[in-house]
Amino acid sequence: MTDHQPKGLPAPLRFLAKPLPLLPVGTILSLAVRRLAARRPGVFDRIGPYRTCRFRIAPVDLDFDFLLVPDGTRARVDTIPRRARVASDVEIGGPLVDLLGLLDGTLDGDALFFTRTITVRGRTDAVVALRNAIEDAELKPADLLGLTGRLGTTADAVILKAIALLRRLATEPSGRESADPPGGSSPSITPFGSRS
Amino acid sequence: MSLELVCPAGTPSALRAAVEAGAHSVYCGFRDETNARNFPGLNFSPDELVDGIRFAHRHGAKVLVAINTFVRAGHPTAWIKALANAEGAGADAVILADIALLDHAKRHHPSLRLHLSVQAAAATPEAIQFYAEAFDVKRVVLPRVLSVEEIAALAKEITVETEAFVFGGLCPMAEGRCSLSSYATGKSPNLTGVCSPPEHVTYTDDAEGTTAKLARFTIERFGAGEPAGYPTLCKGRFIAEGKTGHWFEDPVSLNAAELIRPLAKAGVTALKIEGRQRGKGYVAEVVAAFRAAVDAIAAGRDDPDTAKRLAGLTEGGKQTAGAYKKTWR
Ligand code: SF4
Repeated sequence: MTDHQPKGLPAPLRFLAKPLPLLPVGTILSLAVRRLAARRPGVFDRIGPYRTCRFRIAPVDLDFDFLLVPDGTRARVDTIPRRARVASDVEIGGPLVDLLGLLDGTLDGDALFFTRTITVRGRTDAVVALRNAIEDAELKPADLLGLTGRLGTTADAVILKAIALLRRLATEPSGRESADPPGGSSPSITPFGSRS
Repeated sequence: MSLELVCPAGTPSALRAAVEAGAHSVYCGFRDETNARNFPGLNFSPDELVDGIRFAHRHGAKVLVAINTFVRAGHPTAWIKALANAEGAGADAVILADIALLDHAKRHHPSLRLHLSVQAAAATPEAIQFYAEAFDVKRVVLPRVLSVEEIAALAKEITVETEAFVFGGLCPMAEGRCSLSSYATGKSPNLTGVCSPPEHVTYTDDAEGTTAKLARFTIERFGAGEPAGYPTLCKGRFIAEGKTGHWFEDPVSLNAAELIRPLAKAGVTALKIEGRQRGKGYVAEVVAAFRAAVDAIAAGRDDPDTAKRLAGLTEGGKQTAGAYKKTWR
C-alpha cells in the first residue's frame, strides 16, 4: 500500500461523468444511505455525535462534489459544483477510484493519508469517526442498493468488477491524468490514530 | 509450547480479521474512557463484545478486554461497569492498570483472570510480584523499556506469565507515566484513553508545505509531497538551542520479528501486536505474518523472514527493535 500513487480517471470517463449532477444523483444516494441506516443502524451509531457533521467528498477527477450528512435514516447526500462555497465540517479530497476503494475496504485509509493521495481538511475527530465506522461496516455495493440474496451477490460481483476495471484504467499511463488533490490554505488533517 | 499471539482489534470486523488470520488471542476495549484507545468510532459496545467473544471462542481464540486507564477520582462507575460487562460477555481475561480497579476485580470478580497492563509500567521483579501477590495477577504486559537479557533475568524472578510487544507503534516514555498529551490538550492515554486526541489536531497548508499542530503546539512541518504522519507529541520535530530534531523519539515503529526466538528463550509467554487504531487489512497482514513465524519457530524451522515481510507496514517505513536491543547503555 505504501507505493500507492495518486490516480485520476481517464479523460473519456471524466467526460461521461460530466452530466451526472443533472440527474437526481443526490436523491438516489440519500435514499440508499437511509435504507442502509434502516437495515444496519449500528454503522451509524459508531459515527456517534459526528453523524450530523457535513462531510464534503471531493473526487478530484469529477466536476462536482458530494455533501454527505450521515445522520442515519435522516441522512442526506447532495451534489454540489466543484468550487461552490458550501459550509462543511470536513472535506475529503482524492481520486475517485481511491475514494471508492476506501468505501469498499480495498484500500487502507492510513496509507492513503500517509502518502497524501487523499487530503482531509476540517475536524479530525469527525474524519476518524467516519473512517472507523466505514472500516467496520464492510460495505458492499448491494448494501447501498438494498439488494439481498442472489441479486445482491450478482450486483456486488458486477459493480466490484467495474470498480476494479476503473482502477486499472486510472493507473494505466495512457489514461492517467494529473489528479492533484484540492489545494487551498484551509486547515487540513489526517485521520490517523496516535500510537501510544 | 508455542508462543501465544495477542492481536489488536479496534472494531468487530478487525476482531474477525485477527481471528481468521490466526490470532491465539485478541484484545479490545469498550467504547469509552475505560480503555487506552478511546478514539472516535473505535471500540466495542457491550453487545458487540458478546458477539465478538462468541465468534472468537467458536474459532478457538481468546478475548482479552483492556480496561486499562486509571479510574477518574470519585467517578468509578464506568470502570466498575466495564469489569462486569467483560465478565458477563465471557472475556478470557481483563487487562488492568489501576490498583483500585485490580482490588475491585479481585474482590467482586474472583473468577476473572487478571492481566497487568503495560500502563502499570511494572518492570521490576518487586513491582510485578506485588501485583501477583496482592491481586492474583496472572500475566504482566512488559513495558517497552527492557532488553531481551533483562527480560530473561526478570522472568526467572517472577511467578507470572509475561507478554512482550513485538510490533507496532511505540510509546517511548514509560507507559502510564507520560504527561505530554495532558500538558498540551488536557487529555491523556492514562486518564481519558487517548494520546494526542484528534479533536486537537490540525494541519495547515501554505506555500512551504504543511504544518501539523496539536492544540497550540506546532509538532511537525512537512515539505510539499513529503509523507505526512500523525502529530503525536513525543514524535514531533522541535527546535531547541538552535538545532532541529526529534528530541523525544524518532517516528519509528517497533518490529521485533527477528527476536521471536530470543524472546521465547527468555521465557516470554505471549507476543503482543500493537494497533487497535489500525484497519483490518493491517491487522490481518501482521497477524498472519507473525502466526507463520510463531508456528515455524515452534516446529523448529527458521523464521520465514517476517521482519522483511512486515517492513512496509511500519510507520513511514522506519522500524526499530527498540529497547530489546539496547545500544545506548
Ligand atoms: S506522547 Fe508519546 S510517550 Fe507520551 S503517551 Fe503519547 S505516544 Fe506515549
